[in-house]
Parts: sequence; C-alpha cells; structure tokens
Amino acid sequence: MLKNKSLALLTVVSIISILFITNAFSINKGSKINNEKKAGLILIDSMKQFGHLERPGVLFFHDKHVKSLRGKNKDCNTCHLKNDKRMSLKFKRIEDISRQETMDIYHNNCIDCHKKTTAAGEKSGPESCGACHIKNPSKLPSATRFGFDKSLHYRHTKNLENKCETCHHAYDKKMEKLFYAKGEEGSCRYCHGQKTKDRLLSMKLASHESCIDCHLKMEAQKKKAGPVDCISCHDAEKQGQIKKIAVVERINRKQPDIVMLSAGEKDTKSRMNFVPFDHLAHEKYNDTCRVCHHKEMKSCNKCHQLDSVKDGDWIALEQAMHNPDAKESCLGCHKTLKKEKNCAGCHASIPQRDPDNANCDKCHIKPFRKITKEKPEDLNKIAEKMLLKVKKKKAKTYSKDDIPEKVIIGKLSDKYEPVEFPHSKIIDAISSRIKKSKLATYFHGSKNTLCQGCHHNSPDSPKPPKCGTCHNKPFKKNNLFRPGIKGAYHIQCMGCHKEMGVEKPAGCIECHKEKELKI
Amino acid sequence: MSISRRKFLGWLGAAGLGTAFSSKALAATGKHLKGYPEGLGVLHDITRCVGCRSCEEACNRVNKLPEPEKPFNDKTVLEQKRRTTTKSYTVVNRYDIDKDNKSPVFRKTQCNHCLEPACVSVCFVKAFKKIPKGPVVYDPSVCVGCRYCMIACPFEIPTYEYDEPYVPTVVKCTMCAPKIEKGELPGCVEACPKEALTFGKRKDIIKIARKRIDKYPDRYIDHIYGEYEMGGTSWLYISKMPFNNIGMREDLGVTPAPLLTSGALSVVPMVIGLWPIFLAGIYGMTKRREKIAAQERAAAVETALSRADAESKNKLAAAMEKAKQEKEKALAKAEADKEKAVKDALAKAEDKDTEENPDA
Repeated sequence: MLKNKSLALLTVVSIISILFITNAFSINKGSKINNEKKAGLILIDSMKQFGHLERPGVLFFHDKHVKSLRGKNKDCNTCHLKNDKRMSLKFKRIEDISRQETMDIYHNNCIDCHKKTTAAGEKSGPESCGACHIKNPSKLPSATRFGFDKSLHYRHTKNLENKCETCHHAYDKKMEKLFYAKGEEGSCRYCHGQKTKDRLLSMKLASHESCIDCHLKMEAQKKKAGPVDCISCHDAEKQGQIKKIAVVERINRKQPDIVMLSAGEKDTKSRMNFVPFDHLAHEKYNDTCRVCHHKEMKSCNKCHQLDSVKDGDWIALEQAMHNPDAKESCLGCHKTLKKEKNCAGCHASIPQRDPDNANCDKCHIKPFRKITKEKPEDLNKIAEKMLLKVKKKKAKTYSKDDIPEKVIIGKLSDKYEPVEFPHSKIIDAISSRIKKSKLATYFHGSKNTLCQGCHHNSPDSPKPPKCGTCHNKPFKKNNLFRPGIKGAYHIQCMGCHKEMGVEKPAGCIECHKEKELKI
Repeated sequence: MSISRRKFLGWLGAAGLGTAFSSKALAATGKHLKGYPEGLGVLHDITRCVGCRSCEEACNRVNKLPEPEKPFNDKTVLEQKRRTTTKSYTVVNRYDIDKDNKSPVFRKTQCNHCLEPACVSVCFVKAFKKIPKGPVVYDPSVCVGCRYCMIACPFEIPTYEYDEPYVPTVVKCTMCAPKIEKGELPGCVEACPKEALTFGKRKDIIKIARKRIDKYPDRYIDHIYGEYEMGGTSWLYISKMPFNNIGMREDLGVTPAPLLTSGALSVVPMVIGLWPIFLAGIYGMTKRREKIAAQERAAAVETALSRADAESKNKLAAAMEKAKQEKEKALAKAEADKEKAVKDALAKAEDKDTEENPDA
C-alpha cells in the first residue's frame, strides 16, 4: 500500500515536469483573421450606447438593401424617417430613445420585412437571431474617406449655377440660425468636427444628410444627380472613377495671385527675408485648398506665429513651413514630390536631414530694395516683381565639352569586362527630366547640383574626385557605413535605375560582358 | 507510525517541487549570457538584395559543395521557396509583395548564429559550440546523429545527410569560421556585389543598421530583426517590409532558447537528487516492514507453540486422569470380577460337593 503511494507521487512529479517542459517550449503563433473589407456595409452596433452588447453587432448590407428597395420603387423613407427638414440617418427613428425601444425597432421592423418578403416568394434576409448576429463575419465594413477636390467642386458650382449658399453656410449664435456669409466660404470641416455637439452635426452626419438629401431631391426633379449608395463615394476603386475635369475655373475666394509670406504685419522680430509665394501656381498643383490651409482659409501667420501659440496648435511658423514630416508644410510637400519617379533616382539615396542652410535663400530671397513697413498689398506687389526675376532662372549643368562623354570603369574588372559608362547620355536623360518640372528647374540652379546625384559630397567642379578616392575596401573598422567601391557602384547605379523605373540594363552582362575563360 | 512516514515523504516531495518551480529561470543556466561583446556579425540589408545569387555561388565554392542542378545564374529557381539543404548552406528567396510583382523583395537565408543558440543547448555531446568570434560551429566527430538541433532551431536551419549511409552529419552554415579566423570575409559577404551584407562586429553593425534607419526613414521599418529575437542573433536584418511578410517569424519573442527550457530542465537535478532518497526510503520501509513481520511471526509462532504445548499438556493430563480413572475402574472391576469369580467358584465347588454326596 505504502509503496503504491510513493509511486503515485513520483508519477505526479514526472507529469508536472513534462507539462512544464512542453509548456515552456510552446510558442504562441498569432492567429490571423483575414476579413475582406468592403464599402457599402454598415456594422449596426447602435445598442453600444446603452452599455455592453449582449450579442455581436449586425453586419448590414446597406447597398444591397438600397438596390433591392429601389427595384420595388420604394424610397429611403421605407427605413429612414424624416424630421422637419431632412431625412434621419437612423433606422426607423429620429432619436434614440431607450434600450428596449431601440432594440425593438430593429427586431420588429427587420424581421417583419424579411418575413413579408419571403412570404411574397422573393429572396430575403435572415429571420433567426444567429443569422444576423454573427461573431466573426467574413466581411467587414470599410469606408475610404471621401472629400471634394477642385474638379468635383467645379462640377457642383457649375450645375448649381454658382449658388454657393446651397452648401456653404455659417451659424449665427445669437439668432441660433444658419445663414450664408458671402466671401467667407470655407471647408465644411471649418465647423463640423469628428463628433456631434448639440446642434452642430459631426462631419459624417452633416455630409451624409446634406449630400444624399440633395441628390435625392435632384433625382426627384429628374435632374442630373449624384450617387446615393455607399460604394460610389466610399470605395477606393470607385473614387478613382469619378469624372475629373482637367481645367477648372479658379475658385474665387478673393485670394491673391502672389503673396509675400511673412511672420505677420505687426511682427518686426523676424530676421529672415520674406518669401514671395506663387499662390496661383500652387493652386494649380493641388487638388484642394485643404492641402495647405487645413480647414480655414486664413493666411498661415494668423495662427502659426514666430512663437508657438495655442491658436497655431503650438506649432510655430518655422515648423509649419519646414517640418519635413508634415504634408501641409512647404518642405513636407516638396519632399513627397521628390519621391516621384523622375526625382527619386537621386533623391532616394540622399539621407533625410534637417533643412540645409545652404538652401535657405532659395525661398527666402533677398529683396531688391529694403522692405520697411509696407502694407500687405504693396508687399505682394514686391513679391510679384521678385518672382518675375526668379522665374527667368534656368537649370544649369556643365557644358558637354567640360565633362567626359564616356567613362571606362575597369578598376575592379575580374570576372567581367570593364564597364563602358555612358556619362553624357545619363546626364542628358536626367536633365531632360528636370526641365519638365518647374520646381526641379528652380532647385537645380547651380551647375553642380545635378552632378551631386552621383558625385555626392564633392566640391563644385567639372572634375570631381574619382569614386575610388573615398570608396575602396569595404567594411573598414572606422567607417563601416561607407560602402566599398564594388558596393558603391552597384548600389548607386542599380538603386537609381530601380527608383526611376529604368528596366534596362537587366542582369549583370548588360553592363559588363562576361570575360572569356583563358585556356 | 506508518502515517507519519507518509506525511514526511509528502512534505519532502512538496519541498522538492517548490524549489524546482520557484527558481525556474536561472536554476539550470545560472546566468544570462549577453553574448560575446567582440563577436562578429553580418547585417543583411534586404532592401539592397537583388536576388543575383552570388552569395549562393560563393558559399558553394568556399564550402566545396556539389554543383547544383541548375546553375547559379538561372533565376528560375527563385520561382519556388527554398530552404537550406545539405548541399546549399544559404538560399535566396523571392517574395512578391505588390500585386503586379513589380518590386519583389529578395531575402537570403542561412544560419543566424544565435547569441544563445538552441542547437548548442540541446546538444548533449556538445557537437555545437558558440565561439567568441561569433559563429556557431559544429564538430562532426562527436555527433551521435540525434538531430535534436534540427528540432530545436527556431529558424529551421540545420539539415541532415539522410543520403549518407555511413557517417551522416548535421550540416549548416559555418559563417565561414575558418576564413574569419584568418581575417578574411565570409564567402557570401565577399561576393555580394551590392553590399547587401555588411560584415563587422555585431555591436558596430547594429549601429550601422540604426544609422541607415535614421537616415532613410522611408526606406526601412524601424526594426532590426535579430537584435533581440530569440535573445539576439549574429546575423541581423533590416527591411522595408514587415518581416512577417517575407517569411521571417515575428512570433519568436526575445527569450533565448536555452532560457525557455532551463525552468523545466532545472527540475531534472532535483528529480535526480530526490530519486536516491525516494528509493532509499522505499527500501528502508520495505526492510523495516519485513523485519517487523518476521518478529511478529516469530512471536505468533511462539504463542501458538506455547498454547499448543499447554493444550497438549492439559489433554495429556486429562487423558492420564481418564486413564487413571479407567485403570482404577478396571482394577476395581477386575477386583470385583475376581471376587465374584472366586465366589462363583466357591459356590460351584459347594454345589458339586452336595451333588456328589447328596446324603451328606
């Protein structure tokens, strides 16, 4: 008996050890859920506001319902009630009342309609609990954000015969009324934020109510109308198919053509030269005003001042203009342009750095006369003159006589023949691309700039040091970061070709022929 | 008496388990290695790799491996995902990330030469060894072919010469340890035309990796694979794509493999230590029980014997008594019979006399 007990204890010890060992070895493998994300779906979880959900939310196929109802000549009122002016986006109710009532509205109306449809012998939706309340549905709702661009805005203004008041309004706090303020139109985001506050609707609600309501009205009047389904606006692919008008009339908001960017009229502390800015040209380069102006059509220095202040979200003017990671800043936007194929060949290999002080005067141009206390209008005129002068500048490179037409790279030749490098041809190819861009033309103003793409860290000279001067044996202890000569050539040439989408030469032997074996 | 013994053993077992589990992390290894500070390593910059397979070719040449079926300039081998084999210590695989396969990603695979390798910790004959220079090297002369190393390796690198009938060995990248000893570069590093492989002290190449990520934030994700994975590896990787997307496990955690098992293994000496006590206890108990049993048996026999003795004596006494009585009875009876016979004889004789002399 005693012997049996001792054996049992030993077994327990061994089992525990085995369990422990296996447990220690097992490494959790993260499970992946690949749910297809689609526009046109809505996850109904309205009950969330009343506390915890008893069952998972319901994936609702909005576009399918719209299509089906329209086929039966039914309109949105089938599901959405109308308050005094507009259609409510909620299902069969204007306001959420109580938990039980809201739940009943869904259960009664959905199931009732599905039953009726089935009874009529048509294809219909589910009637059982589990068929709607699915824990891990195979599809998930997604909505690519939608916004107006210049083209769509132009199409609306043209169709609405420049009646800006159809959409644009302001709010009179005293009268508690909406009114139209001419000349002060701004983006909807000016007021409509992420969440609804009292009577101020969220951007989502405001745009759905206004856009769809108007589209439905237009449709009722048998006029050309915009879409009322989800995917036409919120599917990434469909967004791309929206008709674009290439040349649109300039949006008139009394904006200047050329403006002198400064720290503000009253500010005399700024020590930098003011920046003449071609506003008209930049309007053409961008799709929306929001790109630079966020939501309000004010001049930058109204909020971003020399010191960081609350109005400017604590971002000082210098950062607002120079932060390379902000898409709204000058440098940020120019940085994204450098990623374009034509530019990326050289620019992708240039490390990110702080604004180069050598380039300050590219924008902060020295004025032709001393500026003291000019009015903004006069300042803008000065800016116009300065820009005229600047625009005459052209991209420069060394003349063909100064540079070699071909370079033979043979120092490393071992398995392969030396490379015949078409030096002139490459310069021509790059400079032709620069000439196509106003921005690139302006910033490649010095003879040496273009050369720096390959001959980096070299002085301005038609005869820069050879690559091998700096790049020789790889993996030197004191300079591991610098590639060796073989690495440097391959990284530079192949990197540039890849970034610029140059497919030829492909493979080793199109640059250097294989050496014939000597027998 | 027996219950208290049981309890005692129970306490002993509990105490043993308690010590085993409370100090699981460090019980077996005793210390957490931080790697060899001067160890060498290689940084594989995946963004630079173009899939030319020069590294594979160099590896083949340096390690004197058999010629492959398809030559190294045949890019069709990239159509399939390959793993390391006994005939190729390193392979390059292609990963098509975007839909139109316009910019495929190439990644080289080989032994990562972990700082605290799983293969070393599982090998009970010490065929694998992490040397201070960085490489994890293998000694075939002691290998018994158990292939624990193959099971233990989280990167699935070691391979086995299944087709070798006599002395099959485990095979994997050596980081060209013999070349490194001579101050030369590993074969693959030397051959890479794009310097997608940077060779140097591990601590230095980590700095290089950081510097590249800092200088080209758009080109890399902010992660050096191998800096901490499985406790750190001598081969490091930087990439634009998340490592999961290019066939590298991101679920391995940062705990070195030996540390994962040390807790469990720490129980082993405890169990080994407990065994003699258990067995001795059991032996002792059995012996003691036997002894008691013998004593009890002897006593029982004695009492039984004594009892039997008394009984037999009683019986004897009773029998004697009875015999005595019967004897006396018989004697008395015999006496009486004798007297009667005498009387009868006398009477007979008197009768005879009268018959013979009826006038008398």
